[in-house]
Parts: sequence; structure tokens; C-alpha cells
Amino acid sequence: MTKQLRSVVYMFLISLFFASLVSAVKYLNEKTIASNQALKLQRIILKVLEIPVEKNTPDDQISRLFMERIKNIQVEDRILYVGYEEDAHTILGYAFPVGGPGFWGPIQGMVGVDPEVTKVLGIAFTKHSETPGLGGRITENWFSSQFKDLPLHPIDGDKKIFYLKPAGTTGAPNELDAITGATNTSSAVEAFLNDDLDYFLKELWTAVEERE
Amino acid sequence: MTPINPLTLFFAAIFTNNILLTNFLGLCPFLSISKERRSAMGMGAAVVFVMASTTVLNNWIYYKILLPFGLEHFRYIVFIVVIAAFVQLVEMTVERFFPALYFVLGIFLPLITVNCAIFGASLFMIIRGYNLVQSLAYGAGSGIGWWLAIMAVSAIREKLQKSAKLPKGLEGPAITLIITGLLSLAFLAFSGMIRVQ
Amino acid sequence: MPNLSSKKEIFLTGLWKDNPVLRQVLGICSTLAVTNLMVNTLVMDAGLIFTVCMSSLTVSLLRNYTPMRIRMMVQTLIIASYVIIVDSIIKAHLPDISEALGPYVALIITNCIIMGRCEAFARNNPPLASFLDGLGMSLGYSLILITIAFIREPLGFGTLLGIRVMPEGFVQWTIMIMAPGAFFTLGILVWISKYILPNAKNGVERK
Repeated sequence: MTKQLRSVVYMFLISLFFASLVSAVKYLNEKTIASNQALKLQRIILKVLEIPVEKNTPDDQISRLFMERIKNIQVEDRILYVGYEEDAHTILGYAFPVGGPGFWGPIQGMVGVDPEVTKVLGIAFTKHSETPGLGGRITENWFSSQFKDLPLHPIDGDKKIFYLKPAGTTGAPNELDAITGATNTSSAVEAFLNDDLDYFLKELWTAVEERE
Repeated sequence: MTPINPLTLFFAAIFTNNILLTNFLGLCPFLSISKERRSAMGMGAAVVFVMASTTVLNNWIYYKILLPFGLEHFRYIVFIVVIAAFVQLVEMTVERFFPALYFVLGIFLPLITVNCAIFGASLFMIIRGYNLVQSLAYGAGSGIGWWLAIMAVSAIREKLQKSAKLPKGLEGPAITLIITGLLSLAFLAFSGMIRVQ
Repeated sequence: MPNLSSKKEIFLTGLWKDNPVLRQVLGICSTLAVTNLMVNTLVMDAGLIFTVCMSSLTVSLLRNYTPMRIRMMVQTLIIASYVIIVDSIIKAHLPDISEALGPYVALIITNCIIMGRCEAFARNNPPLASFLDGLGMSLGYSLILITIAFIREPLGFGTLLGIRVMPEGFVQWTIMIMAPGAFFTLGILVWISKYILPNAKNGVERK
């Protein structure tokens, strides 16, 4: 009996010790993790609005640039980022988060559009759990850079804003290369991105115009 | 937003994204147990059962207990303890009520706790944000995928042992790894994905 | 207390003579997956070395107090705690790599080497020897995985640590990036090692 009691007390003490150790480490790292995430978001937004940022630009410079050039506004229940030119009052474009279910799990991204909302400035996929080397290639530059200058118009009937087609069969400016071998990921991206762009064009854009 | 269809997930987990052949999980028991078909069968069955149950259990615990209380950073410990406790429980139940089944599965059950595939399935499910039904589909699919892979490799190994003359150093783990590589290559065909440039 | 030469012996046994990957084919699950990029491999290895050494040390320090019956539970708890610490540090200081590694850092917990060393060595040996044993084993393990990454990354991506090493016009072997490439590379390494490693026995398969 005393032996069993000893085991329980021992286990309890060990657990207590390690639980506090883990919590302490987590507490110490929490701030760094949060600021890293904020910084990553800032970099992405600057990137999709085509404000030039080098990969090795120091963090504080990024934050300063972001503070000077980007304002965020709340439209309905969404956050919209407004980018300004260097003079700080000419609008350079808008950025907004997009996302939807991918093949394996949710995909998140950010889209930047020009001030008249006629074309895409840039796009970046930030979070996904697609297969590395296949669907995971949505984060690669060749894929996202295709979206630059994509003409925008609200979806009318079943005519989508853009299509992802097998590489080599694309012609029109709204036809982009799909990822070879990742049909499911490609069609998922096509579906949610068309929806989100359409939502922005139809709903958010009117809301923005009304505010101004 | 339409959520991912559980059925798609189930089949994808078996074929296109087999947890063993594409994520390398559960390789240690795989290498030692794939020597003969009989044990491969038993281990595989045990993995299917435990994996399907623990992903669902861990999903419930994570979203209903850990997240509401802000304890999500303890999830690794909790998951591994849940798996260990579940395996222990199953072992006792099976031994008591289904002695015939225990005879087949018994020795494999304790080994499962250290099978990284089981723990891996729980981690993937949290990262990919699956709900309860999706977790069940994913857990069961991954388990069956693992079973399929170990059955295939053990059958090949048995044949190989009887008929093939291998170079000395290639016997054992080396050839098993190469067979697994070939199998993994074959499974890639399920998605019609591979394109060697 | 073992003397100096036996300490060296303990360290070298793990590093080379009884290499956990080549001789025992243990613990490859969690790390093999990330060997298509050298950076990820190095970070994973660092995490593993830390976890193995610290777990061995802790288990050894507690060896005279831990009740036999619950020792596995205690070991699991110790290992999991160290892995959470590693995970948290990587997340804070190397956010990009942390994202790329996904769940694989956490999978270090189920890496058989750690539990294996705790059970086979640290449980019965003094702290310093256990620490060295862990260090030798995990370094030996890392050595092999780095070798695999050294083969996979240049052939698969044409780069090493992100720097281009292959000549222009080199056709990338997509297969090396994907799972089969890892299995083939490891299989061939194990094969070759059978001829190189001292007094290799055939078909060594220990649990």
C-alpha cells in the first residue's frame, strides 16, 4: 500500500515539475511567437501590394514601413488593408485575406488588388497542409506570380474570374497553369479563390465605396 | 465553404497519402514485423482499431477539454497518455472477453504505444483542423493504409526469402527498405501524380 | 564510475560501432520525412540530440528514486516535456522552419531511440555516462540523416542548404524529393554499411 502511495506521489511531483517547466518555457516564448506572426502578416501584405521588401530587410524596418504605408479598415466583419504610395495619401491598392478548404486541410492566403479594382497586384498563399512537392507547391513563386495582372470582373453566370488549366493548354489571360499532379489542390484553389474574389468585388467593394 | 468530404479523406488516406509510404510514420514496427504475414496481419488489424479510436478520442479531448481551458500546449503529453491508456484498456478487455482474439493481437498491442503512426495521425488531424467525423475517416483510412502496406511488404518478403538469392549485405532491413520504396512508388500511381522530368 | 577511456568508448559505440540507424534501423520514422532539405534535417537533428541527451540525463538522475512499475510513464512524461520545449523554441526563433516541419518535431516523442536509450542504458547508469551515450547515439543518428539529405537535396532540388550546387541545365530528380527517394537512399546506405561497419553481423534486427 505504502509502495503504491509512493508511486502516486512520485508521479504527481514529477508531473508537477515538468508541467511548470513546460508552462514557463511557453510563457517565455509567447511574445516572440506572437510578434513573429504579426511580422509575417506584415511582410505578406507588403508583398501582395507590391511594396518592395527584400527577404533580408530587418524586422523593425518592415514594421515601420507597414505603419507608414498600410492602414487597416473594418468592412462588415472583415479586415481590409489599404496600401498607400510613399506620399502617404494616394491609394496604391487593397489587400484582403482569402481562404477555403484545400485537399488536406484549410488553405489561407492574401490577395492584393489595384485601387480601381480592375486587376490583381499580387497573391500569396500563407498556410496550407497540402502534400509537399505536389499541392504544397502553391507557395512557390511560379504559381503565385501567374496571378499578377489577372483582370478582375464579378462572376456572371458560370464564367469564372480565372481558370486553372493543365500547363501547356493555357491561352487566355484568365487561364493559369495548374499544378501538375495536384488536381485536387488546384481545383480547390480555383473554387475558393474565385468565390472570395467575387465576394470582394460584389459586397466589400460597394461597402468601401459607400464609406468614402 | 464546403468542408472536405470524409469519404474522400478516407480513400486519400489509404491510397494517395498513405501514412507509411508518404509520411514515413510507423516505420520501426513495420521493419521488424513485416518478416512474416501472420504477424503483419495481427499488427495491422490492431493498428486500424487503435488508430481510428484514438484519433476520435483525441479530437474530442482537444476541442472539448484542452482548448476551452487553454491547455493546448500540453497536447503532446495528453495525446500520448491517451494512446497508452487506451491500448492498455483494450488489451485488458480483449484478454478478458475475447481470448481467441487476444491470442492473435495480444502481443502486438503493447508495441502500438510506440508506433509513431498512431501519434502522427492525431497530430495531423489537429494541424489540419478536422472535425470528429473527418478524424474518424482519416484515422480509419490511415490505419487501413498502414495495414495494406505491411501486408504487401510481408508477402513480398516471404516470397523473397524462399526464392531469391540476395547479396549478403542486402538481406534484412536493406532490402525491406528498397521494397518499401518500390511500393511507395507504386502507390504514387494512385493519384496519377508522378512526373519524372 | 567509468574511467576516461570507457567514456570515450560509450560515446563512440553510439556514434559509429552500434549506429542506431545503420545497425539497428531504429527511430527513422520521424526524421526521414524531412531529409529532402538539409536545413530541415539539421534543425530536426538538433532537436533530437537535445531531447535524447536531456532525457537520458534526467532518467539517469532519477534512476534510484523512480518506482519500477511506473518507469515507462515517467520516461514518456520526461521525453514529451523536452520535446514540447524544443517545439516551442523552434516556433519562436525559426518560424519558417517550424511551419515546414509541421508535426514532425512533435513526433520526436515517439522516436524509438529516445525511449530505447532510456530503457537500455540510462536507467542503469550514472548521469555523465548516460549523457554521453545519448550524445553518441543521437550524433550517430544525425550523421546518417545528414548523409541522406546530402544525397537527396542536390539530386532533387539541385541545391544544398538552398544554394545552387548543380550545374545549369541539371534535370532535377523529382523522385528524390518524394518518399520513394528516401526509402531507396536509406536502403542503399544500410546495404553499403554492412560491408564497412566493423564485425557486421548479417540481418541484425534488434528491437
